[in-house]
Amino acid sequence: MSARVWRLLVVVLAGAVAGCAEDASQMRFAQNADIAKPVHRKARAVVEKTLEEHFGTPLDSVAWLKLPVNYGKTEGKVKSVDGQSLVVDFNAETSDLESLKSPELNRSGLLFTSGANQGKSFLLADYDASEQSLETLTALESVPAEGDQFVVAGQNLRHGRKLYARHCQHCHGINGDGDGTTAKYLNPRPRDYRLGIFKFTSTNKDTKASRDDLKRILSQGIPGTYMPAFVPMLKENELTVLIEYVRWLAMRGELEVQLLKDLKNDYAADRVKKEAQESKASTSEIEKQIAKQLEEYVANPTEGLAAFIETVTGDMVLAWEGAETAGTVIMPPVPRVPDTAESRERGKALFVKTDGGKCINCHGPTGRGNGFQTEDFQKNDATGGFFEKRGLHDSWGEQIKPRDLTRGIYRGGRRPIDIYRRISQGIKGTPMPPVAATVKPEQIWDLVNYVLSVPFESASPKAAKTNSVAGQPSEHGNAN
Amino acid sequence: MRKFWCAFFVFWPIVAIIYSLISSLVPSLGWWFPGASVTELGQRIDNLFYLILYIVTTVFVGTQIAMGYVLWRASHSKDERAWFSHGSHSLEVIWSVVPSVILLFLALYQMDVWALFRVQAYFPKEAREAPVAEVTARQFEWRIRYPAPGKKLQLKPQPDDLYDVNDLHVPINRPVMIQLRSGDVQHSFFLPHLRVKQDAIPGQIIPIWFKAEKLGIFDLTCAELCGWGHYKMRAQLSAEREVEYEAYLKKLQADQNYDGHAIPSAVAKKDE
Ligand SMILES: [Cu+2]
Repeated sequence: MSARVWRLLVVVLAGAVAGCAEDASQMRFAQNADIAKPVHRKARAVVEKTLEEHFGTPLDSVAWLKLPVNYGKTEGKVKSVDGQSLVVDFNAETSDLESLKSPELNRSGLLFTSGANQGKSFLLADYDASEQSLETLTALESVPAEGDQFVVAGQNLRHGRKLYARHCQHCHGINGDGDGTTAKYLNPRPRDYRLGIFKFTSTNKDTKASRDDLKRILSQGIPGTYMPAFVPMLKENELTVLIEYVRWLAMRGELEVQLLKDLKNDYAADRVKKEAQESKASTSEIEKQIAKQLEEYVANPTEGLAAFIETVTGDMVLAWEGAETAGTVIMPPVPRVPDTAESRERGKALFVKTDGGKCINCHGPTGRGNGFQTEDFQKNDATGGFFEKRGLHDSWGEQIKPRDLTRGIYRGGRRPIDIYRRISQGIKGTPMPPVAATVKPEQIWDLVNYVLSVPFESASPKAAKTNSVAGQPSEHGNAN
Repeated sequence: MRKFWCAFFVFWPIVAIIYSLISSLVPSLGWWFPGASVTELGQRIDNLFYLILYIVTTVFVGTQIAMGYVLWRASHSKDERAWFSHGSHSLEVIWSVVPSVILLFLALYQMDVWALFRVQAYFPKEAREAPVAEVTARQFEWRIRYPAPGKKLQLKPQPDDLYDVNDLHVPINRPVMIQLRSGDVQHSFFLPHLRVKQDAIPGQIIPIWFKAEKLGIFDLTCAELCGWGHYKMRAQLSAEREVEYEAYLKKLQADQNYDGHAIPSAVAKKDE
């Protein structure tokens, strides 16, 4: 064949193979622009560096063991010590060992569970599968002895990261900011995890979403939004690792927000300008001063950055782990009040009472989601002023509509217990308030019965009577 | 070079024969996606495919052999002149009428299968009268609405309807009908193992019936590129015994009425 034909062949083959490799250059965690904006750029750089250190990059994530994330672990023990590197023996399944191959293992956490280093964790720098030897990024504090047990964490994170990139990232974004490439076409917008808030939970109003809550959303989807159900496409273990990855992203976002907000106090973006006006010092001097202050802040072991991170992560552990304890899950103290016409009437009376449940203020007199609050200017807690646009807003600053209850679409689930929890504890991150403090459980059940009857109310005025048997708890027993 | 062209035209019919033999054998051996049909109607649809495959193979092999023969003969005799048939009335009638007869035969032969598959009046009566579920395709999932046990599916949602997503349960060995809808764009309801494929069209309610004759969990996928998340519409059809099907509906009902207190004991045990 002529050289031209060969050349053509090479071009065609190259074209066929191109695009197969992961484009690593595009994958990076972008900073939370909204919150970073009023912060001085040097302080922003500190935040970026801190996050990189504790979370890594999207393709090289760090299993930071301080966080309440189940990173997945492989147990092992030390066989011998050779200078900086340890020869080890993993007692894991072969499939797990496969995922431990270098360089994927880099920056996984290594936690000693026995011996002189017990309880200490280190980041891994290198793992040699053929030699079964590994090296830590920072020097070990004491020399481990033969037989010392340890765990290596991070498999879930890597597995979850891959699944997230394939199934979630195009909407929820690389860093979980809800601003992926397809997000702009969606209404409502995909969730931004970085506040650490998820709307539809079973936990009480002050608690985070539990793993079960996230799992329910992943497997059932959210009707009325673009969040689809991922079961049966994703298997049980895939859901598990995805949930851990999403929690990890949420915690990363939370830490970022906290750090930026904290640094804003001392390192506001307009500080240079302000000080220059006040003290008549040159801007370069002030910049130098800021750099020096920041350096001290980062270096200070007791009152500086490290201490702040310690506090924030401590709070996060409490908050996220708290959601996993049985006590925080809302269980109605009394069974559902029988779904009778009378109960619905009582529910309706509460619904429209302006000094009771106050449902009417937002959801409107007939539950259409057109209460007067949707036409009013609302207070913005973040700024202390009012929102620019009329209507209700959520914690993400998006305009939202109260649910139109006549449509029969229940984003957080249509079971009576789901509606009970929504009414009792409110919806996190939205103006939907918890009413548990003022409304009795029986009354909440009346409200539930009424809300569930709204879609059928207008269709036939007698519906309340004919359908009243359908949802009664007492029917459960007969059904079997 | 003459020999080459003779061989060339004889080579392809041999490939075609081997190919059609393989393709008629492998599905029954389970070698080929998606295996033998799980429904009788699907088997009949397959048979139509095979009938067409055999006709096409026969015609293809015949014409190739004829061309090979002509070339072979021409390459052996330098004296024989070619016969030009252009304008031959009888030949044109033959090659118009023969394919027409074949096409007409196919059109008539498939009519009952088509009617059974597509025309609602020919659906089995028990399926037509009691649709088991309404399936709504939407970006990117299948939302399913069942009537409460013992009740009939209504056009509009009822207070006691039961809901599930991405998992359509049907009883085996009895014809069942579902109502197919779309919540947004065009999708396609595809059960490859049952040879059922039907577009879901916004604004329309399209009935589909089938009779699963095998227990199992079969793929339910979307066969119409409906957006970036098209691949996510991978659901399943659970074909199960009548008792299991009823238990499933009862469990859905119990789940859906769950108030944190009343889990019927029988269902709770099945869960564990
Ligand atoms: Cu589709």
